[in-house]
Amino acid sequence: MTTETLRTTVAARRTGVVTWARVRPLVIHVVLAASALVMLYPVIWMVVSSLRPGNEIFRDPGILVKDLRIDNYRVGWNALTEPFTRYLLNSALVVLGSIVGNLVSCSMAAYAFARLEFTAKKFWFAIMLLSIMLPIHVVIVPQYILFSNLGWINTVLPLVVPKLLATDAFFVFLMVQFIRGIPRELDEAARIDGCGKASIFLRIILPLMVPALATTTIFTFIWTWNDFFSQLIYLTDPHMYTVPVALRGFVDSTSSSSWGSMFAMSVVSLVPVFLAFLLGQRFLIKGIATTGIK
Amino acid sequence: MRHIPRALTALALATTLLAASACGGDSGGPGGSSDAGGKVTLRFTWWGSDTRTKLTQQVIDAYQKDHPNVTIKGEFGEWSGYWDKLATTVAANDAPDIIQMDEKYLREYADRGALLDLKKAQGLDTGKFEPDTLGAGEFDGGLYGLNAGINSFAVVVNPAAFKTAGVAIPDDTTWTWDDFSRIAAEITTKTGGKITGTGALGTNEAGLNLWARQNGESLWTKDGKLGVSPEKTTDFFKYVLKLRDAKAIPSAEAISQDMNASLDQSAFATGKLAMSFIWSNQLVAFSKATGQQLKLLRIPSADGKAADNGSYYKGSMFWSISSRSKHQKEAAEFVNYLANNTAAGDVLLAERGVPPNTEVRASVTPKLQPADAASAKFIQDIGKDLGDPSPAPPVGGGQVEKIIQRYTTEVLFGRQAPDAAAKAFLDEVNGELK
Amino acid sequence: MSALGELGSLRGKKTAGQKKDNLAGYLFLAPWLLGLFLITIGPMLASLYLSFTDYNLIQAPKWIGLENFTRMLSDERLHNSLRVTFTYVFVSVPLQLAIALLLAVVLDRGVRGMAFYRSVFYLPSLLGSSVAIAILWRQVFGTTGLLNQVLDVFGIEGKGWISDPSTALGTLVVLNVWTFGSPMVIFLAGLRQIPTMYYEAASVDGAGVLRRFFSITLPLLTPIIFFNLVLQIIHAFQSFTQAFVVSGGSGGPSDSTMFFTLYLYDRGFGNFDMGYASAMAWFLLVIIGIFTAANFLLSKYWVFYDD
Repeated sequence: MTTETLRTTVAARRTGVVTWARVRPLVIHVVLAASALVMLYPVIWMVVSSLRPGNEIFRDPGILVKDLRIDNYRVGWNALTEPFTRYLLNSALVVLGSIVGNLVSCSMAAYAFARLEFTAKKFWFAIMLLSIMLPIHVVIVPQYILFSNLGWINTVLPLVVPKLLATDAFFVFLMVQFIRGIPRELDEAARIDGCGKASIFLRIILPLMVPALATTTIFTFIWTWNDFFSQLIYLTDPHMYTVPVALRGFVDSTSSSSWGSMFAMSVVSLVPVFLAFLLGQRFLIKGIATTGIK
Repeated sequence: MRHIPRALTALALATTLLAASACGGDSGGPGGSSDAGGKVTLRFTWWGSDTRTKLTQQVIDAYQKDHPNVTIKGEFGEWSGYWDKLATTVAANDAPDIIQMDEKYLREYADRGALLDLKKAQGLDTGKFEPDTLGAGEFDGGLYGLNAGINSFAVVVNPAAFKTAGVAIPDDTTWTWDDFSRIAAEITTKTGGKITGTGALGTNEAGLNLWARQNGESLWTKDGKLGVSPEKTTDFFKYVLKLRDAKAIPSAEAISQDMNASLDQSAFATGKLAMSFIWSNQLVAFSKATGQQLKLLRIPSADGKAADNGSYYKGSMFWSISSRSKHQKEAAEFVNYLANNTAAGDVLLAERGVPPNTEVRASVTPKLQPADAASAKFIQDIGKDLGDPSPAPPVGGGQVEKIIQRYTTEVLFGRQAPDAAAKAFLDEVNGELK
Repeated sequence: MSALGELGSLRGKKTAGQKKDNLAGYLFLAPWLLGLFLITIGPMLASLYLSFTDYNLIQAPKWIGLENFTRMLSDERLHNSLRVTFTYVFVSVPLQLAIALLLAVVLDRGVRGMAFYRSVFYLPSLLGSSVAIAILWRQVFGTTGLLNQVLDVFGIEGKGWISDPSTALGTLVVLNVWTFGSPMVIFLAGLRQIPTMYYEAASVDGAGVLRRFFSITLPLLTPIIFFNLVLQIIHAFQSFTQAFVVSGGSGGPSDSTMFFTLYLYDRGFGNFDMGYASAMAWFLLVIIGIFTAANFLLSKYWVFYDD
């Protein structure tokens, strides 16, 4: 609780009067809880459905059901050509590579754009923004041809190498904005102390952009974990399938699908992402407690 | 410093040129590979749910056991991603050897030279196929898709729903469109709207095709043009409105919602309709979803005679071989196995439709589950009343299902009159044909 | 210093103590430059080239000059998709950002169980592009879905929200707003980066909650608001997955959810008309570029940088 709320709550308790200040935390909680429920309804529905037999899910939709069982999880785990663990591991591999790639390359590029001066900087910045704006569907075919000529199809290379080369310009832009929020005086102080550009980057900028780095990690994790299209195109061997591609293997719009298994495995694949978010949150919390000017 | 950006630009241009040259040419995209020991690797792609994948993989394993020098790599996925991936791999000259193909895209690929003429393929025998079943994959004198399973457009009824409404299941050899509308409306009335009579006509272009065929026309002609007239199309939309006004079909909103629903989520599958239009091989899926024993009926006719209802055998899907495959002979041999081998047939059963090879069908039929057996029997029964095979959609014609769904929606919501919609629909379809 | 001012100073004027250091600059930029030239530029230029051709993916591209672009002028369905997209962008982005900001500020104030709520509000974004979303959305907005059941309780007759052409787009707007988790997390990170010493000093001066918000939080958050605004607009213009998944790829009912990128995809992959699709993509890029440039130009009036 913040100092102010504490102060007012204590004051209210002393007098015993029900003031707005006293009721407010409760109201906030109620509103938040209600919104949370509304937000979560679809997710709750999915989890409940995953615990019901597949062909009942649509016949009898609703979340208040008795007779829940975990069959779908057992069956779904092994329903595809490999146990689902394989797909989880494949996804993990791609995601890890992407996170490392993005953190390293995007922070370097962001530092250059936000703090350094060099010829044609404005031009390159514009190009970077341009690359965010082009829809992926038209570059996918030329990109595929490019990777095919390099012999990288059916490897994770087309999915990870671009991240090592900062092709996720979104994060470059994100980090640029964060770095620009860091007072330049800190850089100056370090420079006066004799630090070179690289030192300033490693010792001053990086530690102060932890929230941005955490955001990058979380988003890269989630977007890569859920990225269907690229993973579909570049991974041809079912051994290499990742989670989103595998999930669609349960479903066929033209014949019967295994919805139970699909929902069950969707819930399973939500778990790592959610955990990543829970853990990564802690780093979002770390902020600047002092000015740092010492 | 200045040289470096230039060198990189040159590299990028070189890469692009290399890429562009790969589009039209034949520069070593891997379709399958072979090494000195005579070992061949084939890539085989199909769409379908996990059931189909398991069965297909079984057949692959059996084939590999019999042919130790051949390795087959299965690449599978679901319907929508499948076509994007196929288009991308073909564009990169990287297509799989054996491709499960659909009528909507058959000519898109074949007319542009991406598929092999199976008549010229060594090792492929179609002698035992039922004669009417090859037509759908044949055009311009060549065979580009081998029927992988027969299906036909049919009316599915939920007998339990009929019982609840107290309506008798009609005789499908004599019923007309008027009968259809009347019976459906009756069901809706007698159940107080809890169960609606039927799903709408017009959500699938097959309905229009049958309507056209019953009136001496056809949706597509053999030479790749639209073959249905504005008058008959107007009549078709007018009939859809008649169904709506008679309350034989659900509300415009419910129908529109169903158009994009998956099979399991559709109104018929969830027990809200007594009848619907489906492809015969979907009977299994619907039986599972409804939990009922369902029945297939012939499409109503204009004049009350089943022989005139314009039915035809369609290929629910086809086997095709990439024209750029490096192992056409081995690919053809595998397709031959898929289509003609009874052991393979006994595994695949009727999951993709009724086997067109009469011997395989005979072997498979006694092994079928009730729902599959019912659809196989249906296919058998309508055999004597078939019209001519229906030509496959020409280049640009594959999207017609989406187009007609849009116009049926407009008509049902009252946003366009039947004749205006018919004209606009035909104009748009014509505009897409190349 | 404003964003524009900063960019202006790049034109060669040297700010005090900031000399050009090309070696350092390009060294740090090297991975991105490499990626740009090896992976991004090639395909981008290829797609530009393709926009002047008739390309069906199977046969070699054929040069047709400006024909794709002139065709866009008379393509009714394209105009419709522009209408749909613009409506979507200008309705859902402000709504989404407002809610994201509101909740970020509320959560940042140290509500008990904040970590829990933060995760809960973020969860929908995790599902945003999954196959399950179509099913879930139908369960909520379908003719027999949850919303109608709730309305029933109040005696209001619901309709088929996702199947009526006049409301289908609305459900997608709601979907975008539902996934406000991403901008919210970014706002939270930005809020966390505001030095608490500012708040303490203001408290000492006797500033109340609202005063603190408008005088400290909001101004210092403007770089992040700007970032979210620019990117959510770009993202909304490019929106594809939700419309694709919820409408089953059809853009229906009646093209009411046919986003520009969905139409582009339909033309390119569905009709094997990749040349036209490429032309459409570059047209979209120009539109987005104009809005982004406008954003940057206007930013000097309201964005405050600490450097």
